[in-house]
Amino acid sequence: MPAKIAHSKRRRRWSFTRLSSWTFTGVALVTLGGGLILLLLESLPIWRHSGNSFITGTRWFFRQSEFGAAPMIYGSVTVALIALLLAAPIGIAAAVFGVEYLPPKLRLALKITVELLAGVPSVVYGLLGILLLRNWIYKLFQDFDLLSGDTLLTAAVLLAVMVLPTIMTLADDALRGVSGSQRMAARGLGLNATETALHVSLPQAFPGLLAAVLLAFGRAIGETIAVFLVIGRQDNQWPSSLLSLGPLFESGQTLTSKLGGSETNIAYGQPLHWAAMMGLGLLLLVLVVGITLSAVGLQRISRRHEA
Amino acid sequence: MKSTTKLVFATTAFLLVGLLSGCGEARSGGDSGFESGSAKKPLKINGSTTVNLPVAEAAEMLRAGADMEIQVDTQGGSSGGISMLGEGLVDLGMTSKHVSDDDRAKFPGCNFRETHIGEDAVALIVSKDVWEGGVKSITKQQAAGIYERRITNWSELGGADQRIAFFNKEPGRGTWEVFAHWLYNDPKTAPQASFPEVGGNEETRNKVASTKGALSQLSSSWADGKTVYALAIKTEAGETIEPTGANIANHSYPMSRPLFLLSNGEPQGGAKRFVEFVLSEEGQDLVRKHGYLGLADLAK
Repeated sequence: MPAKIAHSKRRRRWSFTRLSSWTFTGVALVTLGGGLILLLLESLPIWRHSGNSFITGTRWFFRQSEFGAAPMIYGSVTVALIALLLAAPIGIAAAVFGVEYLPPKLRLALKITVELLAGVPSVVYGLLGILLLRNWIYKLFQDFDLLSGDTLLTAAVLLAVMVLPTIMTLADDALRGVSGSQRMAARGLGLNATETALHVSLPQAFPGLLAAVLLAFGRAIGETIAVFLVIGRQDNQWPSSLLSLGPLFESGQTLTSKLGGSETNIAYGQPLHWAAMMGLGLLLLVLVVGITLSAVGLQRISRRHEA
Repeated sequence: MKSTTKLVFATTAFLLVGLLSGCGEARSGGDSGFESGSAKKPLKINGSTTVNLPVAEAAEMLRAGADMEIQVDTQGGSSGGISMLGEGLVDLGMTSKHVSDDDRAKFPGCNFRETHIGEDAVALIVSKDVWEGGVKSITKQQAAGIYERRITNWSELGGADQRIAFFNKEPGRGTWEVFAHWLYNDPKTAPQASFPEVGGNEETRNKVASTKGALSQLSSSWADGKTVYALAIKTEAGETIEPTGANIANHSYPMSRPLFLLSNGEPQGGAKRFVEFVLSEEGQDLVRKHGYLGLADLAK
């Protein structure tokens, strides 16, 4: 018997699944780490040239060698935050409706339909944004005398539509993780479906829901082409106050729309300008990785909750 | 047991090698420009959306007529054409500006060769409400005033009381350089201005057409006179000059620019065939068809 146990243990240690998952996890980690290191090395000249003011500086004039990324960080974060403000309530409400009220078959149909939306290429969303959304926003806010339909708000609304499937499907997973016996108990105590959702499912699934929103945030920050087409790509739009709403109705620039633009071509071969562009890439990667990691952390906490 | 382990290692190694070599192949595809255009290696062309119009159509004809495989793309405009040719990613670049000494310094390994295929003008285009509001021409001083934000309302140009929504062509575009050259003699000395930026010609036309009080720079052949309108240039003598073919050819219209196909040294193989086709009678007809001037028009 002892021999047999030892044997099976060794077999588990060297199983194909185990080995290949370790290998490919390793490949993923090395790729990510390599990317970070490469961007850091490529952007070294700009950190030497500007130091912290690369992040805090509000002026970007590449011909004068002035590189301040703050307006772009502001653009990226603002657009993604507004997108989440719009998409999170709808996405989570849709997930609650699916899990708590709909019969399982209908819930699945709803989930599949929403997930189909996630598969639409982002350039298609961008073109729809140019064709419909720009003009809609332009007309809707006519009284505010918008200069054009290319605004941070336009980009945010477009992103909201794009991250909705992510939020909904992940929120759905989080809510379904709440065990059925808890719901049964709640109903047994006389709570109706709405009360059960509000007082049992939602609090229990909270870390998972937060993770859903954070993952959507990461996706929104990284989105390039759709934002690129409707945001106006105007540099140096630093707001007078970080909380003012005015900039939402003006053109702006995000980290991704800058990197997707023609400046990357111009920067090539000019060490400092190139380093500045790579610096933007580094900031973007750090932002996305940071957000995703905290989301995954939250998901783990929520799973432990369930167990 | 040992043989299973070996098998696992072998499989993993095989997969990894496959992955890595796959990446390598994709990159090296465009490196050699010699036998391009044959059945195996497609002829790759990238650059200016302005030059793209006749070139894409020429590519279409050669694909059908001469059985050549040709990919035409417009990533990054003229400077995208220059940098992709410089890196050896494409066989021909399309540009609507000369290759600068800076570009040559950036890519010392590339012997840029310009083949002149025609001439185009840059128009300042406005949206319908501006045109109908009575603004039909602009002076150099007024254009500079708008670019430097000293003029922000169309009423200062004799139009309606409407803010000027200026869409600036993004840096690196041939159109922008011609505009900056006209106003400031050298694009490098142009004041840095932050306006909403537009890229390709389609985007520019679409955004100007759908925005009130809009102004932008656009290749004159795209100014259709239905959705967007080209302003005439008013000289100091009070003469108005429209971007017509005759005015471009005799250079009285100030913002015109040459259109080039770029190659690394003398074009070879498929690239040579392509360049020869564009320079032929048939190819030059395509250049004219899209509203540009052919080489013969310029010689007149």
